[in-house]
Amino acid sequence: MSAEIGLSCEHIERYLGEEEERVHALRGVSLEIETGSVHAVVGPSGCGKSSLLYILGLLDTPDAGRVLIESETVSHLTDDELAQQRSRFIGFIFQFHFLMEDFTAQENIMIPMRQLARRSEQEMRERAAVLPEAVGLGDKLRRPSRHLSGGEQQRVAIARALANDPRVILADEPTGNLDTANSERAFELLQQLVRKRGKALLLATHNRAIADACDWIHEMQDGQIIASHARETRMSI
Amino acid sequence: MTPPLYIALRFLTHRKRALLLSLSGVVFGVAIFICTQAQTQGFSRYFIESNIGSNGALVVRSRFRPRYEPLMVAAKNSKGTAARRLYFEGITNPNEIMRVSRQFPDVVSCSPVLRGTVSARSGFENATVELYGIDPALHAQTTDILHQLIDGNFDDFRNNTSSIIIGSRLAELLQAGVGDTVQLLAPNGEYWRFNVAAIARAGIGSIDSTRIYSHAKIAQALLQQPSGASMIIYKLRDRNRAPLLASRFESLFQHNALSWQEREESTLQLFLTLSMSVAITVSLIILLAGFGIFNVLTMSVLAKIKEIAILRSMGYRRRDISAIFLWQGALIAAAGSVIGCLLGALMTWGVSHIPIHLRGLLYTNYFLVTWDWHHYLFATFLALVAVFIASYVPARRAAQLPPVVTIRGSR
Repeated sequence: MSAEIGLSCEHIERYLGEEEERVHALRGVSLEIETGSVHAVVGPSGCGKSSLLYILGLLDTPDAGRVLIESETVSHLTDDELAQQRSRFIGFIFQFHFLMEDFTAQENIMIPMRQLARRSEQEMRERAAVLPEAVGLGDKLRRPSRHLSGGEQQRVAIARALANDPRVILADEPTGNLDTANSERAFELLQQLVRKRGKALLLATHNRAIADACDWIHEMQDGQIIASHARETRMSI
Repeated sequence: MTPPLYIALRFLTHRKRALLLSLSGVVFGVAIFICTQAQTQGFSRYFIESNIGSNGALVVRSRFRPRYEPLMVAAKNSKGTAARRLYFEGITNPNEIMRVSRQFPDVVSCSPVLRGTVSARSGFENATVELYGIDPALHAQTTDILHQLIDGNFDDFRNNTSSIIIGSRLAELLQAGVGDTVQLLAPNGEYWRFNVAAIARAGIGSIDSTRIYSHAKIAQALLQQPSGASMIIYKLRDRNRAPLLASRFESLFQHNALSWQEREESTLQLFLTLSMSVAITVSLIILLAGFGIFNVLTMSVLAKIKEIAILRSMGYRRRDISAIFLWQGALIAAAGSVIGCLLGALMTWGVSHIPIHLRGLLYTNYFLVTWDWHHYLFATFLALVAVFIASYVPARRAAQLPPVVTIRGSR
């Protein structure tokens, strides 16, 4: 791999639950995600896909191992510092869009920008107008998000994840709540953004077609990555 | 505008019914607090003003000297100094005491008064009255007597030594008006005739129904008193310094000195108790408003649990999440306090126009209110504290929510 490593983790261990219900969710997981590439994590429900995503996205802390953003260890940082790292480097897309329902599409997209505070109000507005166009929502900018369809809401969520121009996009079943047509459209959109803007995308998915379209597929089982396949090797097979 | 403030504003305006509920609690709490305090303090202050206006902020009375009883053992809990004094009625050398006391920067003016109890008669009506023999000029400087006159003329009294000023309720009792004659019974059984020059209303029943002012020399002759003054009353720059000054005067002049706070202690305690009772009741209303806000914000935290999780995923820190809910409380408290203060002022104005025919302890035809910015400040402070406490717990709870648990639970 010659490209720059955007996000990586080494020997991640994670236990969930307490005492008798304690589950070993991640068992020594290591992963590298280069910029400009799309990675998919696949596996049965409960295999640890989401746990891995949350740890890589600095929303959760590992019990052992470390997370690195652009080769710098970040997993030891304080809660506030982790929040700052999330704000600067990471964009999240969830299965459920989690939009602020009484905010318009534009306002939703501006929320992460407000927190990062790198742009003026005018610049934020302009960017929040450009991003929906990129995801095909240009005319619904000022519509309250609760009045948008499921596909449109997910596209707003994608635009929101891109608001601060993050290096890494983490998507947990981003198309899980969409019909086939919308799923394909959303994934294509993400793919284009990754390629054009040199982002790194890691998505957890059950959708085989989407996984097949990724540069890398990492198969997880019982909290471990049991196999990783590059597109080239898959094609040759 | 900070991101938490922006989000707080949006959260608030979205839930209009909840906002209205929280806001109305604060508004009514603040308004009722202001209005009730204005009323209770209105009566209290009127009493204090009238009392000081008639009797002075400080009174120097009987001379005393220490009583030497070395073999006596003071009883437990007894006030030793009071028990070891011998009092002599009247002021010894009032002019010298007034000359010295005028040197004190707190003293504005002072006036000697010769006081005695006599019987008054007008037509077929009789009454026992308190005769105050005064120096008209000094008394006018020291008290509010000029402002208390409701009929007649002070100059007529000043220029005519056989004239008197009588209290308004006493005038009603004796059925005497300005220009009428009132007879006062001297200790030797002789009736002295006086012309009513003016009628005064202090606003306090006990003064208005018993008091008659005459010239000091005439009062001295009528009462057959050797002393020229039985007390000296003082007007002070700062009436709150009266107890301190009283203590200094006692040690300096060896005369009993009484501040208005000591003199009217029982009545003031009554007003204070009433005021505190009302304040406690109204504070409970504000506290209830606080509970309302607590409920609204707690419900808001529960309703916004997913939004909180997503905000955390976007880089919002715990303290930002906490600030969102604290800002909501602060905005409710600020808006509620402003509207509450305006409503409180309106209610106070309205109450001050309610007719009331009070002729007992105080004289008034309308509810007495006081306009004091301290009430507005205190009500606002109380609302802010109550709302902050009410907001703090939900805000803290929101900040502590682990985003991963919420996001996992949303599957």
